[in-house]
Amino acid sequence: MGKRKLTIRRKESIYGYIFIMPFIVGFFAFTAGPLLFSLAGSFTDYNITSRMDFVGVENYQSLIVDDGLFRTSLWNTIYYVAFSVPLTTLGAIFISALLNQDVPGIRVFRTLYYLPAVLSGVGVYLLWMQLLEPGTGMVNLLLGWVGIDGPNWLYDPDWTKPSLILMKLWSVGGSMLLYLASMQGVSRSLYEAAEIDGASRWRQFVHITIPMITPVIFFDVVTSLIGGFQIFQEAYIMSGNGEGGPANSLLFYNLYMWNQAFESFDMGYAMAMSWILFVIVFVLTLINLKLAPRWVHYEGEEK
Amino acid sequence: MKKVRMPLLVLTSATLMLSGCAGFQTSDNSEGQTNDEGKTVVDFWSFWGSELRRPVIDKIVADFNASQDEIEVKHTYSPWGDIWTKELAAIAAGNPPDVVINDINATAIRGKENQAMNLSEFMDDGFSDKFYPELWNATLYEGDSYGIPFNTDTRVLFYNKDAFEEVGLDPEDPPETWAELEEYAAMLDVKNGDDYDRLGFYPLWGVGYDVWLLNANGENYFGADNNVDTVNINTETNVEVLNWLKSWRDRIGEDVVNSYQAQIDSQQGNPFFSGDLAMLVQQPTFYTQISEYAEDLNFGVAPLPEYEPGNGHTSWGGGFVAEIPEGSSDPEAAWAFIEYLTGAEAQEYWAVENFDNVANIEAAEAAAQSDELSEEGQMVYQMAIESMENTLLTPAPVEAPGFYNYINPHVDEFFLGSMTAEEALAQAQADVENLIESNQ
Repeated sequence: MGKRKLTIRRKESIYGYIFIMPFIVGFFAFTAGPLLFSLAGSFTDYNITSRMDFVGVENYQSLIVDDGLFRTSLWNTIYYVAFSVPLTTLGAIFISALLNQDVPGIRVFRTLYYLPAVLSGVGVYLLWMQLLEPGTGMVNLLLGWVGIDGPNWLYDPDWTKPSLILMKLWSVGGSMLLYLASMQGVSRSLYEAAEIDGASRWRQFVHITIPMITPVIFFDVVTSLIGGFQIFQEAYIMSGNGEGGPANSLLFYNLYMWNQAFESFDMGYAMAMSWILFVIVFVLTLINLKLAPRWVHYEGEEK
Repeated sequence: MKKVRMPLLVLTSATLMLSGCAGFQTSDNSEGQTNDEGKTVVDFWSFWGSELRRPVIDKIVADFNASQDEIEVKHTYSPWGDIWTKELAAIAAGNPPDVVINDINATAIRGKENQAMNLSEFMDDGFSDKFYPELWNATLYEGDSYGIPFNTDTRVLFYNKDAFEEVGLDPEDPPETWAELEEYAAMLDVKNGDDYDRLGFYPLWGVGYDVWLLNANGENYFGADNNVDTVNINTETNVEVLNWLKSWRDRIGEDVVNSYQAQIDSQQGNPFFSGDLAMLVQQPTFYTQISEYAEDLNFGVAPLPEYEPGNGHTSWGGGFVAEIPEGSSDPEAAWAFIEYLTGAEAQEYWAVENFDNVANIEAAEAAAQSDELSEEGQMVYQMAIESMENTLLTPAPVEAPGFYNYINPHVDEFFLGSMTAEEALAQAQADVENLIESNQ
């Protein structure tokens, strides 16, 4: 290798590997072992302390064939993902488009909308439980002012998941920041050219802004899809007793898995559940990646 | 590209192998740990980190350490949310703490799963007599104890004496039966249009439907000694009780129930403190809130009313045990600490300082007489002790871990009106039977 110079291409790929090295090392040192162990464990009746006998595909079989709660939890999770991912994506794009305007005090607004993303965890959930309180909560109070008799939110099984989606919409500030950064990177000359051609603001947005930020949209959709399937804390805290009530409407996939693992100590069963979830998310991500070239536009891409 | 990949592949597979090796080297802790002074260190985990509880448990630990030449207990606080998952991981890794405070209701399951040590070998005959039998029995798996009861709770009826007097009821004669409860509640109601200025009672604040089922049946859903040959969920009595509970909601109205519930959840705004609610089922520790937020309230405490005269004032409780995780480095020393922790002296100190129900009978009775409690405090504590006689625990049978997860959703549906009581209980019964079958 020393005799001839490395080509730029080769150099770049070495740099690339160096940059992702921390992840690769971390992955093999800490994650890969447990990952393989859980795959092996999913074919056993492992319960952490007293037994680990091979049971074949029994866990998978009873999950898919017999377990009603498994189906409920999968349905709840898919419902949540199907609504929360598009809504939060649209919400974030909408807000960042508004915050991309040149008006006085825009920094204050940006800070305000970003703030919820800084807050996180149990505190936020408790806050929202108060806000969504049917009798005295702020949300129903506001709805009452415009003559709407607000629902029972976290007490009504039909409204529990919408409640969580509403809460997620409140904290779109994080992805808003990504969109905003990407929108600011769109070259002014494109808009100027469009203006000369007589394009309206709306058409500029649809035909310039949106295509230019599609890489970020793609990234946001993929990560929030994966994140959406992992919803756990919200249900664990906000269903009151942590069981996914009322009427199992907040029994999400990971909550049920957690119950199996740490309440029933049926670790093998829970591991099988986690692999089923992995397959689902993997397939969805593959579909996303396959569809991406049709709508994601990379500047300077070689076709 | 190829050439770059090769060294990478070597490097990554080397890392993998190294991490793999590390995985098999579980640290073996059987030798025990000693500190600089040569004392055996007992690692003690609890979730008592609050301003109220932490000083009390730390004092108990310090007292124990002062009395010992060879053992030193090190108390580690771990939050409620993850203490037991951490413990489980530590057991699996072979390096667990030596004493952990854990939920009494799953003690038998932890015994069965080899998470907790069998404590029978450590104790003398008659050791179990120190504790309430109901608590002791909940720690048994196949006749052996896997955790020593530490604290517990029960449910009693708090009532407003002034309100009783105002409507012509005898303030020293609280309701004895469900029928009287209903009658008194109606008398205590003060209606104001659709709203209430004062509400007599609502059964589902402070406790769940399952406490009323337990009260009516005098037993949990399962057979004697928690055997699962019989599962009594879908019974006529239970259908009747659920309908009775719902009739309160229908009478009082959804909105009133919800707005009161919100005030109760906010703690200091509890309508019982302001006299807007005349009777409420709560744990005896509720007294600490009364004395903090409503000093002048003239209240009394009574056992839970009984379903029918002579049926028994059955109440419901839970609690925590001190146990030795499997793989502890020095179980003998750990046991010495547990014996102290559940002994009369430490238990009385805990009971009085925290106003908490303790499992040690002698300590509980001494606490009720303690000069450190106010007169009202003594009254409530005395009632707690009386109620303990009728208090049942509902530990999960080893064949039905988390059984309530299979009942609650259907009962939710009943209260929401999408199922009749018969339908809900029939489904719950079927689901629990399925659960038992899959665990046998």
